[in-house]
Amino acid sequence: MQFAARYQDGLVADVRDAQCVIDLAADPVALVILDAGTREVIDRWPEADCYLLHSRMMELRIGNRRKPAGARLGVSGIADMRSALGVLPALAKAQRRERWTQARILVLATAALASVVVAYLFGIPLLADRLVAYVPPGWETKIGDTAAVQIERQLTGGKGYVLCDPDPQSPANRAIAGFVARVFDGLDSPFVPNVTVVRSDVPNAFALPGGRAFYLSALIQATRTPDEFAGVLAHELGHVYYRHGMQTLIASSTTGLLVGFVLGDMTGLSVAGAVGSSLIDNRFSRQDEAQADRFAAETAARLGFSPQGLVDLLERVARDDSFSRALALFSNHPLTDQRRAALEALGLSSAPTAPAFTDAQWQAIRDMCPPPPPPPLPKLSSAL
Amino acid sequence: MAETASAARVGRVEFTGSRHELLAIIVRGYALMLPTIGLYRFWQATWKRRFYWQNTVIDGEPLEYTGTASQLLAGFFFALAFFLPIYVALFALSMQQSGLVAAGYLGIAAVIWFLMGYAIYRARDFRLSRTLWRGIRFDMRGNAWAYALRRFLWSIAMVATAGLAYPWMASSLWRYRWRNTWYGDRQFAISGNWRAFAGSYYAAYLVNLAAIGGTAAWIASTRDIVTVDGLPAPGPLSLLACLGCVALLALSLAWYRSRTASRMLSTVSLGEARLAVKIGAGALFGQFVVYALGVAALLMLLALAVIVVAAAVYAAATQAGRPPDADTLMSPFQSGAVNLALLILGYLVVLGALGLLAEIVLRLGWWRLLARGSTIEGVDSLRTVRAAPEDRALIGQGLADALNVGAY
Repeated sequence: MQFAARYQDGLVADVRDAQCVIDLAADPVALVILDAGTREVIDRWPEADCYLLHSRMMELRIGNRRKPAGARLGVSGIADMRSALGVLPALAKAQRRERWTQARILVLATAALASVVVAYLFGIPLLADRLVAYVPPGWETKIGDTAAVQIERQLTGGKGYVLCDPDPQSPANRAIAGFVARVFDGLDSPFVPNVTVVRSDVPNAFALPGGRAFYLSALIQATRTPDEFAGVLAHELGHVYYRHGMQTLIASSTTGLLVGFVLGDMTGLSVAGAVGSSLIDNRFSRQDEAQADRFAAETAARLGFSPQGLVDLLERVARDDSFSRALALFSNHPLTDQRRAALEALGLSSAPTAPAFTDAQWQAIRDMCPPPPPPPLPKLSSAL
Repeated sequence: MAETASAARVGRVEFTGSRHELLAIIVRGYALMLPTIGLYRFWQATWKRRFYWQNTVIDGEPLEYTGTASQLLAGFFFALAFFLPIYVALFALSMQQSGLVAAGYLGIAAVIWFLMGYAIYRARDFRLSRTLWRGIRFDMRGNAWAYALRRFLWSIAMVATAGLAYPWMASSLWRYRWRNTWYGDRQFAISGNWRAFAGSYYAAYLVNLAAIGGTAAWIASTRDIVTVDGLPAPGPLSLLACLGCVALLALSLAWYRSRTASRMLSTVSLGEARLAVKIGAGALFGQFVVYALGVAALLMLLALAVIVVAAAVYAAATQAGRPPDADTLMSPFQSGAVNLALLILGYLVVLGALGLLAEIVLRLGWWRLLARGSTIEGVDSLRTVRAAPEDRALIGQGLADALNVGAY
């Protein structure tokens, strides 16, 4: 059996027409390459050194491991291809082996990547928790100040907050400060939380890195009992205690790296990159919220007020609707139902022994931000 | 006698690949991309390159791509080393005053833009050093950092002159690339300069500027504006004019691209062998039209699919002829995980279909036009080229993958 081929020696850019014959008598078995015209021997390729390369349809390309990297035999036409494969049975076997090697690399790489993703999802919250301990509190306070300026500009359209009660010695502010001191008493936190009540139509409260927390007036208006107010405040103080703002900063800056690696777009500008990062970051955020809820419940048990207030207030201002349920994975807070279930599972709702604030204190806090008076009636001009 | 006869022989370039062959590669790639969390993209790129290379037959002998997917994978790991400092900088930046943050982001954007030049050069190096023809390897020498700096400085000049410096920029970069390209032990030369770009570039620039400026001025003067949902939108006549602008843009782009590629590549030579390229603007414009029609058809198909799904959900939620309320309509979408899967699926379908269309129509089309429009004068002089030593650099292509600038 023999076949025609185009021979390249990998040293000079020349192509020679050749006839290839298998020499079974040689040891090891070798392919003898003859010049098609003169029949002189150009080269001898031992069968074991030959391998098949990827080539277009209706063509075989054979390389040789011991020859220059570009040494090739090109075989075209169905008859010649068939006899080449018949003469060199090791070729097909080597090709199958190569295919398995590729599949193995792919499977191994996928498994490695999957374990990195899983390790990231479960490891980063733990790691960020440890890492924040090494961030100097002064540094965190400075970051919190920067964030506070940006949020103030966003919330008020650049006009600046309107404080509900600028006097820190007023009964309401003293009551809040007293509560904060009781919550943080004996907790060994580097921060002295500073709660500010500001006027806003948005029923919300939030904490920033460095111990600053904000309570917006619309949320006080929606609050009915002192325990509700205390529950939400304790939740925000939980964020301060666990330094969640700093943790989020650490975690989200590495999320981009992971998502970029999976999607192959390190610039993170694609939609997939943004969605992927937000999915992961919001997952971390929901874990932080659950932790702050637990802090609030434990605080309530310690100080003797009802932990129920937090969820009662949440159900009034942030009731789950079908859309929030549908998009739960994109939300940075857990569903209110889940928060209630998690709090009840803690089993801390023993009978309250003392409300968080006295009636007089609560009255002062309620009156900090009275709703704006209705607009004055238009003056009647003389109709007659 | 024999010498002159062989010097005169003209080598032809053919392209033997078919669309459905490439389609099969891409569809198989999509199917494997999801279970491998995206890692199959390196194998996909390798298979696509094999397809393009093997089917480009120069003077009877096909090109061969010898790169492997594992090399691309390893290169991508190396590229991460470039990004770690950038991520650390971004992290530090996110804690600064807002004025500093803006300046910092600008700085990082400049660094990335600079790195893109480096990545483009190294990606070309990667591809060329893994390209064989007649058993001899191509190569790229020169300094990728020097190329990146050159590109970076020229882009500043581009911005400063509102794009008027482009012909000089393009010719400078083309010359640097080609003069550092080698086939075995023989170096490429290019004699084209800014004149190859200037005529068609400025003509296209002026025509488009006039068309867009004229349309804008006409809309402003005739106030042909209607409001849709409180937002101003061009009226019917203006819309027609805007579409005309887009068509003109595509036409001028096709003309500019085919003309400059023909003129520039026709000045490329390798020893005594000279490249001659002739690409018709009409053929390229035809591809643009096919692509636009394809995108339109795709969007229509997607809209149809959305309507069918919405109708099915509505029908399922309708009970006893009563129109359903919002809660019943949303009831199939209560599970967050299902929604996420739907979202990802939808995104992948849209993106995948658009990417497939671009690959099959535009990339394959351009490659085929280039191949079929090329001839090589004095092709027999190449028979004496000798092989150069091996070059196994890894990281260049990786950075290009990470920055999304690695074509083909």
